[in-house]
Amino acid sequence: MVNVTIDGKTIQVPEGTTVLRAAEQAGLKIPVLCDHPHLLPFGGCRLCVVEVEGMRTLQPSCSLPVSNNMVVRTNTEKVQAARKFILTLIFSDRNHFCPYCQVSGGDCELQNAALNLGMTHWEYQPNWKPYPVDASHEYLVIDHNRCILCRRCVRACGELVGNFTLGIEERGASSMLVCDVGVPFGESSCVACGTCSQVCPTGAIIDRRSAYQGLEKKTESTASICLGCSLGCGVNVLTRDNRLVRITGRWDAPVNAGVLCKLGRFLPLDEDRQRITTPLVRKDGKLQPATWDEALQAASLKLKPLAGKNGSGVAAIASPRLPVESLAAFKQLFKGGFRSDTVTTLEEGASTLAASALAAETGPFETDLSALEAADCVVVLGIDLAVEEQVLGFMVKRSLPSNTALVVIDAAENGFTPLARAALKPAAGAVNVALRGLSAAIRKLGLAKAGTNGKDAEAELKSAAEQSGILADQLVYAGGMIAKATRPVFIYGKNLNLADLKAAADLAALVGAGKNLIGARGAANSLAAAQLGLDQPFKRNGHQAVYVALGDDVPSQRLIQQLEGTPFLVVQAAYSSRLTAMADVVFPVEMWAETSGHYINIEGRVQGTAAALKPAAGVRSNLAALQAVAASVGLSAEADWQAALAERKAPVALALS
Amino acid sequence: MAKPKISSDWMCGCAGCHMSLLDIDERILTIAELTDIRATPITDLKEPDESGVDVGILEGGINNTANEEVAHRMRKRCKLLVALGDCAVFGGVPAMRNFFTIEEALRRAYVETESTDSEGKIPSDPELARMTRVRAIHEVVPVDIFLPGCPPDPDAIFYVLSELAQGRKPELKGDLLHWR
Ligand code: SF4
Ligand code: SF4
Ligand code: SF4
Ligand code: SF4
Ligand code: FES
Repeated sequence: MVNVTIDGKTIQVPEGTTVLRAAEQAGLKIPVLCDHPHLLPFGGCRLCVVEVEGMRTLQPSCSLPVSNNMVVRTNTEKVQAARKFILTLIFSDRNHFCPYCQVSGGDCELQNAALNLGMTHWEYQPNWKPYPVDASHEYLVIDHNRCILCRRCVRACGELVGNFTLGIEERGASSMLVCDVGVPFGESSCVACGTCSQVCPTGAIIDRRSAYQGLEKKTESTASICLGCSLGCGVNVLTRDNRLVRITGRWDAPVNAGVLCKLGRFLPLDEDRQRITTPLVRKDGKLQPATWDEALQAASLKLKPLAGKNGSGVAAIASPRLPVESLAAFKQLFKGGFRSDTVTTLEEGASTLAASALAAETGPFETDLSALEAADCVVVLGIDLAVEEQVLGFMVKRSLPSNTALVVIDAAENGFTPLARAALKPAAGAVNVALRGLSAAIRKLGLAKAGTNGKDAEAELKSAAEQSGILADQLVYAGGMIAKATRPVFIYGKNLNLADLKAAADLAALVGAGKNLIGARGAANSLAAAQLGLDQPFKRNGHQAVYVALGDDVPSQRLIQQLEGTPFLVVQAAYSSRLTAMADVVFPVEMWAETSGHYINIEGRVQGTAAALKPAAGVRSNLAALQAVAASVGLSAEADWQAALAERKAPVALALS
Repeated sequence: MAKPKISSDWMCGCAGCHMSLLDIDERILTIAELTDIRATPITDLKEPDESGVDVGILEGGINNTANEEVAHRMRKRCKLLVALGDCAVFGGVPAMRNFFTIEEALRRAYVETESTDSEGKIPSDPELARMTRVRAIHEVVPVDIFLPGCPPDPDAIFYVLSELAQGRKPELKGDLLHWR
């Protein structure tokens, strides 16, 4: 610890703390532009300058570490004059037209800094040389006229997303923000995660969907989580007049710390399906609007007699995007009440069956996401993180510059292959053979940390190479890399079957990283669904009725085909689809932003969503709809979800209360 | 003490700042009581008294030789000059035009505009003022008080006027200081 005196206040801070952070701890606010709490210090804009006793010139507080007994003054006349001058230069560097800038009036950190310093005007006029506006990107616009070259976006794209799309070309006054080697934004390697727009202090990177829809102070912000995949990234849902305006990543969220992917940030703003706001009942062959009572009566009339009729009763299928409260009630109603033999989710266990089976044998075998921070080798198995669980992919990508070795093993094409130090593409169905081959290679190399090393491994390696179609040399190269790592982490996805997963767990154990597995689950509540046993294959067979708790999910082509000709089809859904068009009764339910409920993420973390929008009057929550149906047939949909989740061994420790 | 004389004029703006001035509602009576309102674009008298005024207010940037004349005249005849609104302070929205040459801007306005018929031509009467780049007022004449905003808040305008009326120099900050 070192002592530092800032504006007369003496405090103790750990060595290496910057003057800026120390000042924050002392309760003082120093204005910044290039600095961002989630990015490494950069020291480019100089707005944060302070006076330090004994130092000849003003110093940038964001990148100056404190030294013992340092005396700092953050707001002297000299400092203020310097800051005004710095802003004056920044404003004259390019072209700022606040009256028609999207962020003017509160959301611009540059303008706010000027106003806080009492700047009523600019001493020097703008540059007047027109800078380009790049509107080639589907979701983002770069207006170089407003860019102050603070490089927050460049650093965020690299440090947080690991994508390194953005950079700065040229020097001094000719410096320009560029995408890749100078291609249009829309044709660049950008993955549209939007993190750059979230950190840009000015209106230089704005997102097209929410531009000019309202300053942050004119919107309401609701802290919630993204339901796009099983990662459960924390979001702020910005709404105005009960309309979705923007989604931002929550900096204080434990999973993603501010970063989101395109699926979480932008796709929900593109929603164009038609909303269902009133119950519908098929009369004379046509779906007609009805009251809840009428619809419940129509449903219960057909459903009630089917209770207990195994195989010819009611089959039920739910979306793994529903909150766990709804999933538990769904199970209670259809498994417990109707005693149906077919109660499952739209995923039919696809991304969880192998993990559940292994957990039943061994108990929890997975770790949480923090393991990735320390990993020096990441093995990606049967999942394309460029497409699925993308923020997990960002975590992997951003660790690569610090010399983390990436190994990709996938029988399918994989977007991470070009980034990998070793990429193995086993023949279809031979992932487990390849993994056993890696284990054999490691034993052959004498690098096994558990179990036996030995010469017998030679034959095993040879046959694995033959069967998997991977050269033995490659297996040895990749195996050596994994075995030499001190903290390898294995990320696996739904392309792994039980045999593959067991081989992966054995490989992990062999290199002394027994529980260092992370399993992607697919949907937001796939793990919860698996814990509730909602993971069987769906077959309609002789069932006389099918109940689909679709929520705001999209019904697959396959499901629609399977359900064609169902004698009686009930769907609870937020949006109309080909499935609701086939139904006999439709109950209108909430979409994600209207729902409050709980989700169990990839690492067993229990997180809540909060309702950011109010649904139309006729719309009920998924849980309320299920409970109403239960009441109408004289059954119960009450369930203690926490207890229900714990009934089965989980692949990862569940953080239940 | 005699009431301070106030005069205003507008140049390359949209009149919005003067609308915002009227938007101070009944407080205009307070101003009228404390000051002697002389020439403004919305009163009968159009030019500031040759004998001078205490406070001159100018809305809009300077975009031609006529504006230059207005600015110089006001500067000459007032003791304190107030730049009212973003156009006066920064150049504002009209200054976007500076991205183009004057010829391009004239051609766009008089020939290429969707509402112009094929006969459209650029006015060239020598009596007309000559167009220039759009400039903030302080690029042409010294300004004493900058009152930014597009338009400035009525509250900010009232604050500035009432301070000036009482012989104080206003200092905009906090909620009263904004650029739009
Ligand atoms: S980025 Fe900020 S300073 Fe620049 S025009 Fe927009 S609001 Fe004004
Ligand atoms: S959207 Fe994401 S990937 Fe694209 S440039 Fe911005 S930070 Fe980089
Ligand atoms: S685009 Fe924004 S974040 Fe990037 S350098 Fe320019 S001002 Fe900074
Ligand atoms: S990684 Fe998953 S949870 Fe995170 S933002 Fe993307 S879709 Fe949403
Ligand atoms: S915030 Fe310190 S130099 Fe930019």
